Amino acid sequence: MSSASTPLAQPREAIGRTARVAAAPRLALLARSLPIVGWLVLAVLILFPGMGASRYLLYLGTLIALQAALATSLNLVMGYAGQFAMSHAAFYGFGAYASALLVSGAGVGFWISIPLTMLLAAVLAACIGYPALRYTGGVHLALITFAFGELARLLAANWHSVTGGPMGMRVLYSPEPLLGFSFATSRGLYWLATGMLLVSLLIVFLVQRSRFGRALVAVREDEVLAAFLGINVVAHKLAAYVMSSMMAAMIGTAYAPFMSFISPELLNAHQTISLIGVLILGGIGTLSGPIIGTLVFFGIPELLRVAQLYRLVILGAVIIVGVLFMPQGISGLIRQRLKRWTRDVGMATPEAVKR
Amino acid sequence: MWIDVAQTVFDGLMVGGLYATVAVGITLVFGIMGILNFAHGQMVMLGAYIAFFAVTAGFGFWAGLLLAMVAMGLFGLILERLIFRHTLTDHMTGLTVSLGIIMVVENLAAAVFTPDHRNFDPPLSGNVQVLGITLSAQRLLVLVLVMGLVGAFYLFLQKTSFGKAIRATGQNRTGAALVGVQITQITALVFVLGSAMAGAAGALYGSLFAITPYMASGPLMKGFILTVLGGLGSVPGVVLAGFLLGLAESFGSRYFSAAFNDGYGFILMIITLLFFPTGLFGVRGKARV
Repeated sequence: MSSASTPLAQPREAIGRTARVAAAPRLALLARSLPIVGWLVLAVLILFPGMGASRYLLYLGTLIALQAALATSLNLVMGYAGQFAMSHAAFYGFGAYASALLVSGAGVGFWISIPLTMLLAAVLAACIGYPALRYTGGVHLALITFAFGELARLLAANWHSVTGGPMGMRVLYSPEPLLGFSFATSRGLYWLATGMLLVSLLIVFLVQRSRFGRALVAVREDEVLAAFLGINVVAHKLAAYVMSSMMAAMIGTAYAPFMSFISPELLNAHQTISLIGVLILGGIGTLSGPIIGTLVFFGIPELLRVAQLYRLVILGAVIIVGVLFMPQGISGLIRQRLKRWTRDVGMATPEAVKR
Repeated sequence: MWIDVAQTVFDGLMVGGLYATVAVGITLVFGIMGILNFAHGQMVMLGAYIAFFAVTAGFGFWAGLLLAMVAMGLFGLILERLIFRHTLTDHMTGLTVSLGIIMVVENLAAAVFTPDHRNFDPPLSGNVQVLGITLSAQRLLVLVLVMGLVGAFYLFLQKTSFGKAIRATGQNRTGAALVGVQITQITALVFVLGSAMAGAAGALYGSLFAITPYMASGPLMKGFILTVLGGLGSVPGVVLAGFLLGLAESFGSRYFSAAFNDGYGFILMIITLLFFPTGLFGVRGKARV
């Protein structure tokens, strides 16, 4: 996984330069404009259920937006830092439970509960992540976060007085209006979920462009080399894990009012495995990968009405086949193809050869 | 008073031995092949179902136990030949593939076996009096069996030439190949052994607890905690850690709170890692960075 060559490993500027130098035939033009096209498609996809009248589309859109946001946040620690965090669903569920308890138990406002929940999640993630990441490579983190996820699920199921036990917990509040916009309707909740998705995308986008993001990729590609370059490997891995867990908790706060019901099943390790499957299918370590993967995994079976059970079986098979034969995912495949086109064009021009 | 303590110790050893039976498979596969097999819990689940079907079909518990071991060994062989062989180069690839196997096996099992809880009658019933302590006969049998299984496993690794070849492969693949060890056969053997232990653990689990398609994550979680505690890849370490965890859980739930039963192991693991980053019995100096 960590050795899978993602487009990030290559400096992106270089690709742009060769393409600019070239006479820019149609393919290279297409290749360069694809990110813009991608953003436009995303905007249309987001606006479509939001403007339409169908309640079903709104429901489906909210679900997909939440899943895509989760996949995007998991991508930060798995795709960029190359660390296996199996506790993502646990933090998602933690966010839902903690925010619901803060709002209905302690009487805190919904919008205040989001940063509070994220803060709690950060402390929790640091407590787990530090001992797990201190010395060895990725294996400790995978083991310990899996154990933590199971523990969190069992706690949610057994702690009747607080979480309502295995039967779950009803949530009877909706977010307060903000700046005159009501979040009490299903349309309002849809925009809340899309907002979470856009915030997650923005965070990952900014991280990817920052020095911190490049350091994460260096850690993923070669820890020893990264340490020699003066990168604090443990601190970077821990920061990625804590950030990604905080984002999961943030997205969880939107889940509670949307479903108006939380059960310990939300914290099941299967949810995390599904997200990993989404990342692998879509393309791990790319910005568009989680969204493409979510659309394929949740959108298509939902529209075709495949039974949940077989959906998960197919998902498992996709993970196995994907890892063995197509580790770069759909998005990676597209990128690879595009890069080949632009590079071919760049090579063909005399200036490029001179350089 | 001391009777109470002795009872708790006995329970702890029994549960710990069960955990150790699960964990030795995970540890051996990780130590030799570098693959963290998340699907190990699914083999425990399948083993329990095989024992259940054997017992309800009238073959008896012993045949069920044997059948579970053989069938899971075969299942492991198939998985190794088809999938895990191709992931030996990278820790993370093997791990991810095993996650996919979890999804396939567990959901197919839920479709075929239905999610109902099942039980089979244990071979022994009633209680035994030893020195004034009342012990459940079946729990005593499980304790004897796990001790026997883990002991036989350890002796196999230490004394036989196969065991020596396995340990040599774990220490240095290239070196082992140079002195004539058939590496591909050894990895297959390791996987078969680990899976057979999982099948045995499943049959023993099934004789004590309810069998469902979703039972895998409990034993897997305990196995992982033991793998970390024992110092990744050390079989004796994992067995000792298993008994330690079993004692911690039984004393914790007897004298503190039974509801938090699964939390004791996790806390034990986190505290251990803070002071002994390579686990209780791990080899020092393995840290890379």
